[in-house]
Amino acid sequence: MKIWLTLGVLAAVLLGLFLSVPFYYRPEGTGGTGEMVRRAALTAKIRGLDPQDIGDTTSSAVAGQIFETLYTYAYLERPYRLIPQLAEGMPEISADGKKYTIKIRPGVYFADDPAFPGGRGRELTAGDFILAWKRMADINNRSTNYSAIFAGYVEGLDEFREYSARVDEVDYERPVAGLRAPDPRTLEITLTRPHNFLLYWLAHLPTAPVAREVLERYGRDLVNHPVGTGPFKLAGNFRSNRFSLVRNKNFRREFYPDRAAAELAERGLLEDAGRPIPFIDRIEWTIIEESQPYWLAFLAGKIDSAGIPKDSFDGVITPARALSPELAARGVRLIKAEDPSIFYYGFNMDDPVVGKNRPLRQAMSLAFDRETYIETFLNGRGRIPAGPIPPMIPGFREDRVNPYTRYDPARARALLAEAEEIAGGEIPVLKLAMPGTDTEVRQQGEFFRIQMRRLGLEVEVDYMTWPKFQDAAKTRSHQIFALGWLADYPDAQNFLLLFYGPNRSPGPNTSNYQNPEFDALYERAIAIPEPEGRIPLYHRMEDIVIEDCPWLLTTYRVVYALYHDRLKNYYPNDFLSGTMKFQKVGSDLPNSLKLNN
Amino acid sequence: MLAYFIRRIAYLIPILVGISLITFFLFRVVGADPVDRVAGRYATEEQKAELRRQLGFDRPLWPRPGRLLAGDFPGFARNQLFSHLYSTFTFRFGRSEQYRRTISEMIRTGAGPSLSLTVPAFIIGLFLQITIAMLCAFKQGRLFDRTVVVLSVFGISVPYLALIIFGQAYLAGRWGLFPIYGYPEKFGFPVVVYLALPVLLGVAAGLGSGVRFYRTVILDETRADYVRTARAKGVGEGRVMFGHVLKNALIPIVTQVVVVIPFLFLGSLLLERFFAIPGLGFMLVDAVASSDWPVINALTFVSSVIYLGALLLTDLLYALVDPRVTLK
Repeated sequence: MKIWLTLGVLAAVLLGLFLSVPFYYRPEGTGGTGEMVRRAALTAKIRGLDPQDIGDTTSSAVAGQIFETLYTYAYLERPYRLIPQLAEGMPEISADGKKYTIKIRPGVYFADDPAFPGGRGRELTAGDFILAWKRMADINNRSTNYSAIFAGYVEGLDEFREYSARVDEVDYERPVAGLRAPDPRTLEITLTRPHNFLLYWLAHLPTAPVAREVLERYGRDLVNHPVGTGPFKLAGNFRSNRFSLVRNKNFRREFYPDRAAAELAERGLLEDAGRPIPFIDRIEWTIIEESQPYWLAFLAGKIDSAGIPKDSFDGVITPARALSPELAARGVRLIKAEDPSIFYYGFNMDDPVVGKNRPLRQAMSLAFDRETYIETFLNGRGRIPAGPIPPMIPGFREDRVNPYTRYDPARARALLAEAEEIAGGEIPVLKLAMPGTDTEVRQQGEFFRIQMRRLGLEVEVDYMTWPKFQDAAKTRSHQIFALGWLADYPDAQNFLLLFYGPNRSPGPNTSNYQNPEFDALYERAIAIPEPEGRIPLYHRMEDIVIEDCPWLLTTYRVVYALYHDRLKNYYPNDFLSGTMKFQKVGSDLPNSLKLNN
Repeated sequence: MLAYFIRRIAYLIPILVGISLITFFLFRVVGADPVDRVAGRYATEEQKAELRRQLGFDRPLWPRPGRLLAGDFPGFARNQLFSHLYSTFTFRFGRSEQYRRTISEMIRTGAGPSLSLTVPAFIIGLFLQITIAMLCAFKQGRLFDRTVVVLSVFGISVPYLALIIFGQAYLAGRWGLFPIYGYPEKFGFPVVVYLALPVLLGVAAGLGSGVRFYRTVILDETRADYVRTARAKGVGEGRVMFGHVLKNALIPIVTQVVVVIPFLFLGSLLLERFFAIPGLGFMLVDAVASSDWPVINALTFVSSVIYLGALLLTDLLYALVDPRVTLK
């Protein structure tokens, strides 16, 4: 009886507390503190904020406001253009392309942190880059970026990596022949062979500098204590679902850009040209992994910008692909932008059925109804691809016509007959591997199966977790598989490397495509230092791939982004994660938006 | 009693070893290679091999008896299974490969928010379920009882996800009675504000099935001879219900309640996701999806320990609530 009474009292108190909330809860205002606050949401958890280990878009979105790199992309210019950020200018490159000399910009300071003497951030030096890159090479740090950025290129750095695997405590003072700082403001990189894409990687967050003092204080826990030179610094615990970044008082004097692509200039994005940045005092982040609360939060004005969840799309976007008048009247604005990505079904070219039968691959490509696919799974947020080089990447050809990405069942059947002749009879049941087990992935797998059944082919679909899928790709066990690729930098080589023979599985060429003519063109192209000089070769390589059809291309993605019009200077940039320093937030929400919360 | 307790603890050891072996078999022997995710998308096989060596995944999976026979004990002991058992039973789970955090820190910071959500929901839910069930038993066959039974069946039929989606969309989104989502950075009174809706939804979701279960349990007791005798002796209905029926219904109640306790620690997957509560609810699912082996191992083992502990507690409580039960 006593237990029962105790339980009763406890339950009654708790119930009373919770039920009374509606009587005193008032939704938080979005202004009133006198600060300019940018409210943003992340749809996944942050892995960590160790710059050398950053590889996911969620962590990059936050780290990009804290850390900076030697080079960056001009915020509003299209096509994308590299500009110096922590470097004073573009590098001096030796005639043989193997030595880079980079002057570090003076007057750049790390944010204040207890790691520094007196808690005051000190000036950036060339040594901070060398330390950071050695950290990336240190195998104990398990950075996913080393293999992409420096492996096989920087003199002595691979040896440093091997050394780090042998010792218990890595000595970062140990010299690396290819990384030198003759004085605090000069950084010299010596390569074993020319690396025409190195500058792109030097605009990549994992190459951001790290101060020795910070490393000494936090050690492995540096992942939780990001200290950079960027416009903002962390205030709070990013492992919780709400945290803030506040303005870095040591941030140098920098100005809003005065150049923009014509279309962006027309949107009024140059109105603040020449004004000092950042404008924002604080960024409030919330991690919301489910689409419903994310969407409700945007409608209630609790976050300034958002993508459109699939289930809400029809209520927000009209059939003419414009923003619904109701939302437009409430001060919501829409941006539609293509992003440099490609999605496809890949054929394993080592497979005896699909790999050795070009008409079969072409037939399957012609039998795939891309318009319905894009409408059904992307709410129309995509367009039919013409080749593996996507829009926004120099070398993309708007006028390219791909004879195998149109929907042509009759031609597909004719090609299938040809394919059956090659196969010596009916095509056996094919196997498609899908990377995921959720409903949407299953629907996509089923869509593919039905499309191929209409052609007269039977397909079995295998749904697997991402690690399992990767495992099977590595061992070349897939026959057909669904995959996508997002650009790391704005050069078509970043897509064409997926067809280069030596990159076959377990490398990134998961289709195991190999074509000597393609490989020769690829090797010639990447040896050309000027990006424009490579483009004609890229086009020839693209022609070869289109005809060989190792991929059934499905989509170039189009991003629909919404924002409240109190948010100014907002525009997506595919390669730049530190864009919030350019943005500003106007006064409180219009009353119409407060109706819902 | 002490002998019984020691014996039961001893029984737990082989069970935990078994659980640990199954986890090892599922995720290390037949599972995907965790190195792929760690190595990055441009990594060569040599680089992956180096990483595999560094992570200890190059060691043999099983102990090799040949080494032991040759007198090479370190060689015999140097295998992935022994390392796994050692780290598991010493609770040295290491770091999450995905989030680069120590697992103890992840559990420490996630358990608070999870428990702050599940414990109040559990206490309120249990009290309401038993109270309503007793009222039903008290008014068996009358309008109140019938209405509750119909509502309970309705409650059971409503999918949990639908309840959360509608509750959040209307009570928080449309009517603004509660925050849409969130959890304060520091534990304090605002927690009540943020937890109110998820807790109430959690209570509502469990009410139907709970009331049905306890109603059946209590009705069984009300038909017992001792209840008729008590009533015949003129004992008041309140005393019959609380002093006799409830006391005798405690065995199934305890069974039901204690088994739920380990799951309180693991949080509520859906509520935490929808209300952005930084708990442990999604941690295991997330870890399985990304082959985060240290986290899978840690959570499986820790939750097994708690579950087995709860089962032991159930048996001890049986003896406490029912004098007929003796522990030998």
